[in-house]
Amino acid sequence: MSPHPHSDVLDSTVLGPTAQDPDVLDRGSEGTHRAGADDAAAMLVGAVKRYGSGSSSVVALDDVTIAFPAGRFTAVMGPSGSGKSTMMHCAAGLDRLSSGRAFVGNTDLSTLDDRELTTLRRERIGFVFQAFNLVPTLTAEENICLPSTLSGRRPSAAVLDQVVSMLRLGDRLHHRPTELSGGQQQRVAVARALVARPQVVFADEPTGNLDTRTGQEILGFLRSAVDLHGQSIVMVTHDPNAAAWADHVVFVVDGRVHDVVDRPSADTVLDVMKGLGR
Amino acid sequence: MSGMFRSALRSVMASRSRFVLTGAAIMLSVAFLVATLVLSDSMRGRAADDIAAALAGTDAVVQGVTLGASDGGPGELGGSVRRALGPDVAERVAEVDGVAGAAPQWIGFAKLVVDGSSVGTGTATDVGRNWIADPVLSPFRLAAGRAPVEAGEIVIDRSLASAAGVEPGDQVQVLTATGMHDATVTGVATYAEADTAPLQRTVLLPDAAVPGWLDAEAPTEVVVDIAEGSDRAEVIGLLSELPGVEVTSGPDHVRTMQDAATSPLQFLTVFLLAFAVVAVLIGVTIIFNTFSLTVARRRRESGLLRAIGAERRQVLGGVVVEALLIGAVATVAGLAGGIAGVGVLRWLVGLTGVTLLTGPSIVSSTSIVIAATVGVGATLLSAWIPARRAAATPPIEALRDSAAEPRVVSPVRTAVGLGLAAVAIAGGVTAVARTSTTWLLLAAAVVPALVLCGPAIVTAAARWSAPVARRLAGVRGSIAAGNLATSPRRASSTALALMLGTAMVTMFAIVASSLTNAVGSDVREGLRADLVVTSATADFPTIDPTLAGRIGALPEVTSVASLAIAEGIVDGQPTAVGGIDPSVLPSMFDLDPVAGDLGDLRSGGVAVVGDDPTLLGDTVVVEFERSTLEAPIVAVVARSTGGFDAPAHFVDRRALDASVGGLLDALVFVDLADGDAARAEAAVRELVRATPGSFLSTRAEHVANSGSEVDAFRNFIDGMLYLAGFIALLGVANTTALAISERSGEIGLLRAVGATRRELRRIVRLEAALLSFVAAAIGTAVAIGFGWALIEVTGGTDLPSVVVPWVRLAVTLGVAVAAGVAAAAWPAYRVSRVPVLELVSRGR
Ligand SMILES: Nc1ncnc2c1ncn2[C@@H]1O[C@H](COP(=O)(O)OP(=O)(O)OP(=O)(O)O)[C@@H](O)[C@H]1O
Ligand SMILES: [Mg+2]
Repeated sequence: MSPHPHSDVLDSTVLGPTAQDPDVLDRGSEGTHRAGADDAAAMLVGAVKRYGSGSSSVVALDDVTIAFPAGRFTAVMGPSGSGKSTMMHCAAGLDRLSSGRAFVGNTDLSTLDDRELTTLRRERIGFVFQAFNLVPTLTAEENICLPSTLSGRRPSAAVLDQVVSMLRLGDRLHHRPTELSGGQQQRVAVARALVARPQVVFADEPTGNLDTRTGQEILGFLRSAVDLHGQSIVMVTHDPNAAAWADHVVFVVDGRVHDVVDRPSADTVLDVMKGLGR
Repeated sequence: MSGMFRSALRSVMASRSRFVLTGAAIMLSVAFLVATLVLSDSMRGRAADDIAAALAGTDAVVQGVTLGASDGGPGELGGSVRRALGPDVAERVAEVDGVAGAAPQWIGFAKLVVDGSSVGTGTATDVGRNWIADPVLSPFRLAAGRAPVEAGEIVIDRSLASAAGVEPGDQVQVLTATGMHDATVTGVATYAEADTAPLQRTVLLPDAAVPGWLDAEAPTEVVVDIAEGSDRAEVIGLLSELPGVEVTSGPDHVRTMQDAATSPLQFLTVFLLAFAVVAVLIGVTIIFNTFSLTVARRRRESGLLRAIGAERRQVLGGVVVEALLIGAVATVAGLAGGIAGVGVLRWLVGLTGVTLLTGPSIVSSTSIVIAATVGVGATLLSAWIPARRAAATPPIEALRDSAAEPRVVSPVRTAVGLGLAAVAIAGGVTAVARTSTTWLLLAAAVVPALVLCGPAIVTAAARWSAPVARRLAGVRGSIAAGNLATSPRRASSTALALMLGTAMVTMFAIVASSLTNAVGSDVREGLRADLVVTSATADFPTIDPTLAGRIGALPEVTSVASLAIAEGIVDGQPTAVGGIDPSVLPSMFDLDPVAGDLGDLRSGGVAVVGDDPTLLGDTVVVEFERSTLEAPIVAVVARSTGGFDAPAHFVDRRALDASVGGLLDALVFVDLADGDAARAEAAVRELVRATPGSFLSTRAEHVANSGSEVDAFRNFIDGMLYLAGFIALLGVANTTALAISERSGEIGLLRAVGATRRELRRIVRLEAALLSFVAAAIGTAVAIGFGWALIEVTGGTDLPSVVVPWVRLAVTLGVAVAAGVAAAAWPAYRVSRVPVLELVSRGR
């Protein structure tokens, strides 16, 4: 299984803008038994995202190349409007890049049509939004199993039990979202993202709406999913304490990757943020 | 205000598709309503005006004593069966002080025949009347030629003349109660200024022809011109003192005639209005739902604005202005479309066989005002109610509020609804038990009951259907079923529109099939004759009475039996009385005697249709125009001869002729000799073809045709339903679109976690299908119950049993669901094309 957090393989997740070949990415990952691009759970190469056109156009991602390593917990930080959400959406196949390529594992998302992309989302990606994560007409359990049921399968009972008990949702499974607290709802959303054991989980400020304790709880769950099951997770956050749970932190400024901090602590993260001048 | 107007306009343009749908709903409702009003005005107004003009010179009318209300027939436009007047009544009337002129009016049956075929089809009746020379008293005016003088000369109304292509001087024939007569057309007349008297085709005869052609002993009425300067009331009083008469003043007579002329249209008008009401209801539902959502969305925004100090008027007034804008534009379009669409409606009405709707439409300002008020009013109200509700919400609550309506269903509302439903059912049951129409009115409480219970029904339906939907469509089924319950009020108002629509189809289908069955079953089971000669119209006998004898004389024919039908009054009710030859008819049509002996009719007895053998020996009193028949019941038969106006009593033919006179045959039954059946049939056919007003069918054809009048009516109903259905579908499309826009966040989420476009569309369609099914099923169930009670209570002998056309109902249900799904297809397609992230962010 996956190594302990803050372990040895956290170098050079940020590559030069010229590195187009996925094979280049395993440079520096020689500590693992896996080879090639498999070490990146997801990856953006030369990614550009432009909103609008003409004079009013906004460049949200400006030639970003980054790999999110498999079996790791990556935090993404940066000032508001810097392009974090855009980056997540494009990497998760929720949106398309203006140019450049996005990979999930070895799959180039730009080669997929809408249907294939959708199938990929439900089978290989988990996503947690900041809020409004659940289908209100379905119970917690149905929500958790939704991606699998959409593929016409059921998640394995063992995995479901494991996730549910880890997130302590056992007694809430048959409630509807409106009958759950905000923290419980977010736990259900995390469970949904984890239960199908996707190649990578993206979480966009999953604790942004929660009080510190509940937030810590969720972060703990994410952390243990990485530690126990080798789950790959990418999470956007504004909170240095939350970022400290990650294996490394990617800083995004003005649509570019500005810095990467390995084995972060709240203090080191704060220092970098101060360095950004905000 | 103009700023508000401009911002309203901008908002309308911004959500164009939603408002196009709303506008279309208003437009269609208004168009339907105005077309209905214009049509019924045109039908009623022209007839009423014509009658008033034609009878302008008549100050009083002397008629026989009323025996009872009539079911209709020629010359009975007054709507009652009357005792015949004395033969010398005209002279006696003329002798009364103050009478300046009195003209006897003889009215009977006369059908124009040109080149061997009769002229004119449809529901109008063929009337023969004497030409009144006095221009003050005659309702007809010569348009060409001269008045008829000698027997054998006639004048015809202008629409007959143009239909037949006949001019003064042409040779024609006239079929009357005494047979076929050769005639020369001497002139063409108008009814006042109109081409024809309402609902009648008129042949005008000289007085000299009356005894030989109309077979009447006394005039039907005497029209009176009261001298200038005399006191009308006084003269009418004097006239009333004459024995055996009833006197009606001119204006009263005009009114009676107008009512009678328009009453056959009344039921059409009622149907049309019922459909218009449904159309408007559906339209209002759509508008209401749309504005509720618009307001709900704006509520959060308004909460914010009000929190920072805006007045509530500033915030929500815009919605009302917006409604006014849409309502006004759509209403104007609807008015224009509706007036142009009268032609379509006319065509639909034409499917029933009512062909009198000629001439230009009458577009009264009342019609316009009603339709416009409904259009604009409904829109404004639909916007104002939710706007008020929103304005009453405190700003903070509005801020917190989501766009969705509360999911909880008010238990009080449901309880009241259930109470009403119980009252409705109790009313229906009591009505059936007591055969009471009054109690049936209570059963109508089912409509408000449905309105009140709607949200609860939808919620319950969502709950109960969830497991089924889940089994059929997995998690998509659960989502679809769950969505139904997210806005129960809106879902239920859409469902109500659908419910009303299906309920109407079902009711008509049940009534129609019961009618067809009632009309057809006697013929199916009783007919034994090889061939049947039928009249031109089902309502009225038109077979030349000499035809039966001529057919009987053919060597290929073994026996012939004719049936004459006259209207009499029994116990104050109009009753069809059949005149038969009891020695021949029973072998051709099995009346299925329950008790007694039909042969005793010959000795002056009466046979009644029924199933109670104890009636035997009772005395029946039948009042006819010429005499009262008082006779013992000598037989009880289980069956009559079929058709709408099937006799409820039978007497010997000669007795009937003596009591009424001037009767044509309604049906002639023919049995062929053994041998070459085809040749024999051909021989009979040749005779019948040469006799206008009569048609030949084989036994199988006659069985198949009985009930065909009902089918024509059904075509009309179907046509109306397409229209109402179309509007209901707009409702489904609209509700679906609203539900989608309200739940876009959730839909985006579904897409994000891996629902494909196809799956998304399937969920939306499934939801529409569920809603349509619930609505259609409830509508059907309610209509079966109500229709059954209605027929049980009011059907009487005309509709002895309720026949539920299950197959047709199942098809209707299927079509309703399929149509609902089809209506949801477009919004489903639209939303599936929206990028995932856009949906997600819309939901925030
Ligand atoms: N749909 C859109 N249309 C136009 N511009 C957009 C759209 N979405 C994002 N942007 C712009 O792209 C830039 C990046 O936005 P993004 O949401 O990725 O920022 P973020 O880093 O997630 O910010 P935050 O921390 O506030 O969530 C911003 O300037 C934003 O205004
Ligand atoms: Mg963001």
